[in-house]
Amino acid sequence: MIDLKNVFKSFDKTEALKGINLNIEDGSFFGLLGPNGAGKTTLLNILIGFIQADSGEILLDKKPIDFENLNYKKKFGYVPQEIALYNELSAEKNLEIFGGLYGLSGKKLSAQIDETLDLVGLSERRKDNIKTFSGGMKRRINIACSILHNPEIILCDEPTVGVDPQSRNAIFDMLQHLNIEKNKTIIYTTHYMEEAARLCSKMAIIDYGKIIAEGNLTELTNLLDKKESAKILKDKISIGKLEDLRKLGRVIELEYQFELTPHNEFSKLSLLFTRLEELGIPDDNIEISRATLEDVFLHLTGRRLRD
Amino acid sequence: MRTVLLLLKKDILRFLSDKPAMLLTFILPAILILIFGEIFSGNGAQQSRIPVIFINESSSPLAKVIESKIDSSVALKPIRKYKITGNDSVFTFDEKTAKLYVEKGKYSTAVILPDDFFADTSATLHIKMFYDPKDQIEYSLIQGNLQEIIYSTIPQVFPVLMQKQWISQYGNDKAEKFRKSMAKTVNKYFNVSVDSIMKYTDASNTSLFLPSSENSSAGNDFFSKMIKIESKQVVGKEVGNPGATRMIGGWAIMFLLFSIVGASVSLFEEKQEGSLKRLLCMPVSKSDILVSKYFFTTVLGIIQLSVMFIFAWSVFNVDIFSNLLNLSLIILTSALAAVSFGMLITSFSKSLSQANGIATILILIMSAIGGSWFPVFLLPDWMQVISKTTITYWSVDGFLQVLWRHAPLSGIAINIVVLLGIAIIVNGIALYRFKRGNIF
Repeated sequence: MIDLKNVFKSFDKTEALKGINLNIEDGSFFGLLGPNGAGKTTLLNILIGFIQADSGEILLDKKPIDFENLNYKKKFGYVPQEIALYNELSAEKNLEIFGGLYGLSGKKLSAQIDETLDLVGLSERRKDNIKTFSGGMKRRINIACSILHNPEIILCDEPTVGVDPQSRNAIFDMLQHLNIEKNKTIIYTTHYMEEAARLCSKMAIIDYGKIIAEGNLTELTNLLDKKESAKILKDKISIGKLEDLRKLGRVIELEYQFELTPHNEFSKLSLLFTRLEELGIPDDNIEISRATLEDVFLHLTGRRLRD
Repeated sequence: MRTVLLLLKKDILRFLSDKPAMLLTFILPAILILIFGEIFSGNGAQQSRIPVIFINESSSPLAKVIESKIDSSVALKPIRKYKITGNDSVFTFDEKTAKLYVEKGKYSTAVILPDDFFADTSATLHIKMFYDPKDQIEYSLIQGNLQEIIYSTIPQVFPVLMQKQWISQYGNDKAEKFRKSMAKTVNKYFNVSVDSIMKYTDASNTSLFLPSSENSSAGNDFFSKMIKIESKQVVGKEVGNPGATRMIGGWAIMFLLFSIVGASVSLFEEKQEGSLKRLLCMPVSKSDILVSKYFFTTVLGIIQLSVMFIFAWSVFNVDIFSNLLNLSLIILTSALAAVSFGMLITSFSKSLSQANGIATILILIMSAIGGSWFPVFLLPDWMQVISKTTITYWSVDGFLQVLWRHAPLSGIAINIVVLLGIAIIVNGIALYRFKRGNIF
């Protein structure tokens, strides 16, 4: 179990983390969500000992983590955002080097390489140079190099950036397998809320260096007054009707639509549809959507995640 | 057209934001022009004079004239005295010591006007020279300047000295009679006025001892046959391929510096790729990374230098085996010093392009002033002082000592000590910077 207590970190005059408190349970798939520059990577860098916190406590199984103890690092597997591989070497050679640095050797190293290449689905390409791999394959080897030594905790820093949907799904399946079948604790940073919603058993939303919400998907969406919203095409609403629409709930102007989050009195969707019809907006111009983590973020910060 | 202008603007903005590229484009050429300009401008006031041991054992007036011309030469700097380490006394060179100093490589040439330089009974001048042609340009310059001094002096004074000999042997009247007879004969066959010949052979005309291009125009070829220069090459006679032996060290160290810097600054590439961060998140310390990088670059440097010297041996017959142990020591210490340089550049730089830019500038400057491209003696005095602070200077000199002079360990001790000293001090600074810098 990892505990962070009142962790602060500044770079020059910029406060990157402002008193982070978190509890990450063993075997959980923990998502750290937030926009770019929110402090996710800084927090991850502190967790892997790449940088030190200015103040606060970081505990592993209730004991302070000793970042100077190199053996301690074997408990962690860090999947960097970059493709941190030696491109001119083969997949197998990369794994041999990184596995060797984690203290593996001989038959154990060979066995781990075989198993890991199987897991990431690249056994056939083990002898090929990394530079001949596609982006998605590189990402998978990038992960393989981090889990080769069978760590207890896997820290993934936006591991699907720039990956095609097929490879992304393969990575998700692999991480879920590690979490569920191998009982690995996974800490996963992302600014893709749909990824977090799909993968994470628990998550924390971080913004401007602060944790602004924490919980599972249900707990987080429960923070919203409403679970649904209605999107209406802009060209179906005149200026006069827009004022009427605002009386039904909170209206946000999107690029082509208005998004209406209805007041409590319209918790029944049928009632909302009736009122909209009275305003001259037919059913087929209304799109009802369920609350997402995007909505939670919007609700908590007043901003969209990717603004 | 607008598209072209926008693309042009893009290129200009990118270039202006790339400081190393700007330094390479403008500052480096300026520095190299300065160095080459100082060498080839022919500005005597700034040009360094080449030191030459000079001993005048002759009492002949002609020897005095040559000595005074060497003293006032803008190219040669006569050295007459020497000091011994640990002894404050100053000693005057004699022939034996002069030869020893040339053999040891302290000076490249010794010129001796012996006591029989111009014997009363001889019509031939006798000059002794000890030389070490380790540097072809330096040797040629010394030879050229000495010849110019000697041959331009002899025509002025030789007739006078001959006249003195006639007087001493045949008496004043007979000698004067002979002089007039000779003047008439020359006038008859060569159409030169009798007065000018009489003036030219007048023993009382001391103005003939002064340098004059007018006076020196006559009879150079004739007189040159009357000079017996007893020159002795004291070092490098057995060198199979003098040209290749001279240049191999300079080029080897320049390419060594380039490759070592390339390997050192690869830390930046690893940082950019993220593999450095990955390593630091593993059970790997910064010290492990640095030690492995030092080890790799040092071994790479040793192998690279060895390959270059083996190539020089196989293709140019450069003798690398007769002094192999000392050659190995210079290779090792040069590689260590080059590695420290590469690490220093890496530790001070903020990016790969900056590291490469700074390294290129410094390597080319070190090569220019350190002896890789041309001999250091060609540089002005102030540049020669700077030269001795470079790795290139001590490596090139070390290789020359080993390959040309077949120097024993004591002969390259200073090179080894200085190169190791550079390696230790520069590495110390680099390690300090690595602790405080931003590479990690």
